[in-house]
Amino acid sequence: MTLTEWLRDPNPTSRLQSRMAQSYLSWLRMKRNKLAMIGLLITVALVLMAIFAPMLAPYDPITQNLQERLQPPLTSGHWLGTDDFGRDIWTRILYGSRITLYIVLLVILTAPVFGLLVGTVAGYFGGWVDQVLMRITDIFLAFPKLILALALVAVLGPGMVNAVLAIAITSWPPYARVARAETLTVRNSDYIAAVKLQGAGPMRVIWGHVMPMCLPSVIIRVTLDMAGVILTAAGLGFLGLGVQPPVPEWGLMISAGRKFLFEQWWVATMPGLAIFIVSLGFNLLGDGLRDVLDPRSAGR
Amino acid sequence: MTLLSVRNLRVTFDTETGPVEAVRGVSFDLGRERLGIVGESGSGKTMTGRSMLRLIRPPGRIEADAMTFDGTDLMAATETQMRALRGPRMAMVMQDPKYSLNPVMKVGAQLMEGLHQRDRVGRTEAYAKAVAALNAVQIRDPERVMEAYPHELSGGMGQRVMIAMMLIPNPDLLIADEPTSALDVTVQAEVLSILDGLVRDRGMGLIFISHDLRLVARFCDRVLVMYKGRVVEEVAARDLLNARHPYTQGLLNCLPRIGGNRGPLPGLDRTAEWAR
Amino acid sequence: MSLIEIDNLSVTFDTAGRRVRAVQEVSIKVDAKASFGLVGESGSGKSTILRAICGLAPITGGQVRIGGEVVKSPRSKAFSAQVQMVFQDPYASLHPRHTIDRTLSEPLAIHGIPDTDTRVMTALADVGLPTSFRFRYPHQLSGGQRQRVAIARALMLKPQILLLDEPTSALDASVQAEVLNLLARLRDERGLTFLMVSHDLAVIDHMCDRVLVMQHGRAVEELSREALATAQMQTDYARSLFAASADRMLGG
Repeated sequence: MTLTEWLRDPNPTSRLQSRMAQSYLSWLRMKRNKLAMIGLLITVALVLMAIFAPMLAPYDPITQNLQERLQPPLTSGHWLGTDDFGRDIWTRILYGSRITLYIVLLVILTAPVFGLLVGTVAGYFGGWVDQVLMRITDIFLAFPKLILALALVAVLGPGMVNAVLAIAITSWPPYARVARAETLTVRNSDYIAAVKLQGAGPMRVIWGHVMPMCLPSVIIRVTLDMAGVILTAAGLGFLGLGVQPPVPEWGLMISAGRKFLFEQWWVATMPGLAIFIVSLGFNLLGDGLRDVLDPRSAGR
Repeated sequence: MTLLSVRNLRVTFDTETGPVEAVRGVSFDLGRERLGIVGESGSGKTMTGRSMLRLIRPPGRIEADAMTFDGTDLMAATETQMRALRGPRMAMVMQDPKYSLNPVMKVGAQLMEGLHQRDRVGRTEAYAKAVAALNAVQIRDPERVMEAYPHELSGGMGQRVMIAMMLIPNPDLLIADEPTSALDVTVQAEVLSILDGLVRDRGMGLIFISHDLRLVARFCDRVLVMYKGRVVEEVAARDLLNARHPYTQGLLNCLPRIGGNRGPLPGLDRTAEWAR
Repeated sequence: MSLIEIDNLSVTFDTAGRRVRAVQEVSIKVDAKASFGLVGESGSGKSTILRAICGLAPITGGQVRIGGEVVKSPRSKAFSAQVQMVFQDPYASLHPRHTIDRTLSEPLAIHGIPDTDTRVMTALADVGLPTSFRFRYPHQLSGGQRQRVAIARALMLKPQILLLDEPTSALDASVQAEVLNLLARLRDERGLTFLMVSHDLAVIDHMCDRVLVMQHGRAVEELSREALATAQMQTDYARSLFAASADRMLGG
C-alpha cells in the first residue's frame, strides 16, 4: 500500500491514520492556493536559514574588518555589501534570522496560549468571570501596542528576553477576544451539551471540546500577526531597547544603517528587505491557512 | 400549452475526487399545472429546481439537450436575459424564509423594492400593491407586517411574506422548494391552501419540490419521483399512493402510521436494479 | 412509584429583559420500561421539558424526580449514568473535530470505565454500524449514520432512561424508519425507558404508549395510544393537531 492510498483510505484503522488523512486533505486544499504556497516557502526558507546559518554564512557576523567597510552590493565576496564595521550584511541577515525566529517562537508559545486560555474560560463561564477577564483584556487593548511594549522594556531593561516578554504581554488580548467569540458560538451547541450530560467537568469541556474549535481561528490570527511581531521586535531593536549590539538583529541593523541612508543605502535596505519578505511570507501563509482551517469551511 | 420543456438535464459538480453528477438526465414538460418533484435528500430535486433558473454556482455546471421556457432557450440565454426572467417570469420560494429575507430591512421596503426599481412604480401605488399582495396571502394586518422586520415574524408568516413577494410581479412559473417543511403541521395546511388558490386563480405553472409523498399526492396534478439524480417514475398525483415502482412504494411504506401495528418498519432496498 | 416523575414543572427564561415562560406547570409520570411521548408545535415547550430534566434548562418551579429522588443541580455523575439524551440534529450533536472513536470513548473516560476498545467496538456493532467506521470523522458519515453514533454515545454509560428530542425529524423517511427500528430494538433488548419529543403524531404513536399534547408551554391533554388511534380526544387543539396529521393514518 502506498502512502497516498494509506492516507486516502476511507476506513482508517487508528487515530493516527485518521488524523494524518485529515491533514493530508488540508494539505491538498492548501496546495491549490499558490500565494499560500509562496508564503509557506518563505517561512520554510527562514527556518532553514536560521538552522544552517553557520554553514551558509561566508563570514563571522561579529568580527569587524575595517578595511572592507561600506562595500556596495555585488562586490566580490560580499554580494549584499558590508556595513560600517566591514561586516558582511548577508552573514548578519542569516544570523539575524535566528533572532527573528527565536522571538517569533517565544511569542507563539506564550501569547496565543495565554489568550486562548483567558478567552475560552471567559466565554464558557460567562457572567462575572467573563466580565472580569474581558475588562482586563480591554485595558491591555486600550494602549497602543508599541507604546506599551516600550514602557515595559523601559521598566524591565533592554534585552531580547525582555523584548519578547513585552511583545507577548501586548499581543495576547486579540487572541483572547477571538477565542471568546468562537467559544460563545460553540458553547450552546448540542455536542457540548452532550458531553456535559455525560458528566464532564468544565475543565474537560473547555480543554477537550471547546479549545479544538477555537484553535483554527487563533492559529490564523497568530500567523497574520507574526508580521506585526517581527516589526515590533525590529522596532524595539531600532530604538535600542531590544537586542543589544553587536548581535545581528534586523531592526538594529536598520538603525545602524540609518546614518548612511543616502550614500550607502544598502546598509539599511537589505535588513529592511529581509523584514519585508518574511512579514509578507507570514501574511500569505496566514491567508492560505484561513481557507484550510476555518471551521466554517472545514468538513465540506 | 407547454410553458417549460426540459430535455436530458444534467448537473455536474467538479470536486477534488472527480466529477459528481447531482442530476443525471432529467426530462419533463410543464404546462400551466402543478408538478411535484419528490425524492429524498441527495436525489437531485433541489438542483433540478435551481437549474431552471440557472442558479447553480461553480464548481457546478448545467448541461441539457434542450431547456426552453415560453419560447426562450434557457441554455443559450445571456445572464442579462436570465435576470430579466428571474422574478418577473419565473420565481422561486425557498424552504426557510429566515435565509431568504434581508434581516436588516423592513418587510414593506423589501416588498416595494422590486416595484420601485424594476417597474418604476410610484411610492403610493407600490405601497398599495404590496398591501394587496399581503392580503392575497391572507395576512390579516398587512400594515403592521409592512413595518415589521423579518425576525419579528413567525415561520408561517415569513413564508407567506416570501410567497407574496414572489407573486407581486405576477410570474408565469413558480418553483417552490420545500415551502412548508420548516413550518408546523397546522400552519403548513394554511400556506399550502394559499399557494393552491393563487396558482389556480392566476393560471401559473408550479413546480413543487418536496420530500413528502403524501403532501405532493394531495397537492399536485402530476408527480416526478427522483432517486440519485434520475426520474424513476412519473405518475398522476391521484395514482401516487398506488404507485408501482419499488422505490416509490418503499418510500410510502417506511412511514409509521397512527394505529399501525408497531412492528419493525419496512426499510428501503437500495440494492435493486433501479438504484444503480 | 414511577421511574420519572415530573410535578408542576415550570421553566422560565429571562432573555433581554423579557420573561419567557417556556413551560408552565406540567406534570408527567413515566413508569419504568414505558415510553412516553410529548407532541406539539414549535414553541410548545416540549423540548424544554427534556432539557430541564437533564439540567440544560433551569427548573424554576416544581420538581423532577428520577427513581424517587429529586434531581440535584448541577447533575451528578450518577445522574448521567442513569439518564442520557439523543438530540434532534445529528449534524450538530457530534463534535466535528473528534473521531467517532473519541466521541464514544469520552463518556468512558469521564466515568473511568476500563476496556475502552472492546466497549467502543461493541457499541458500534449494537447500533448497526461497521466497526471500520471507528476512526472516521462525523463529516464522513451520512445523517442516519451520525444519528446511530449519537444513539451509541447515549448508551455508552448503560442508562435506564433515554430522552429523545425529535431523533428522526432531520432524517429522510427511509432513514427515519431504520432509526426508529433501531430504537425499538434497543428498548426491548435493554429494557429502556423512553421520553420522546416529536412534532409527528405518527412517530409518537409508533413508539409510545402514552402521549401528552402540549401548546404554548402548557399541557393540553394526555392520551393513551388507543385514544389516539381512535381519535378520542377531548380538547379542540388536540383534535386539530390530529386532523392535520390525518394523512398519517393507517390506510390514509
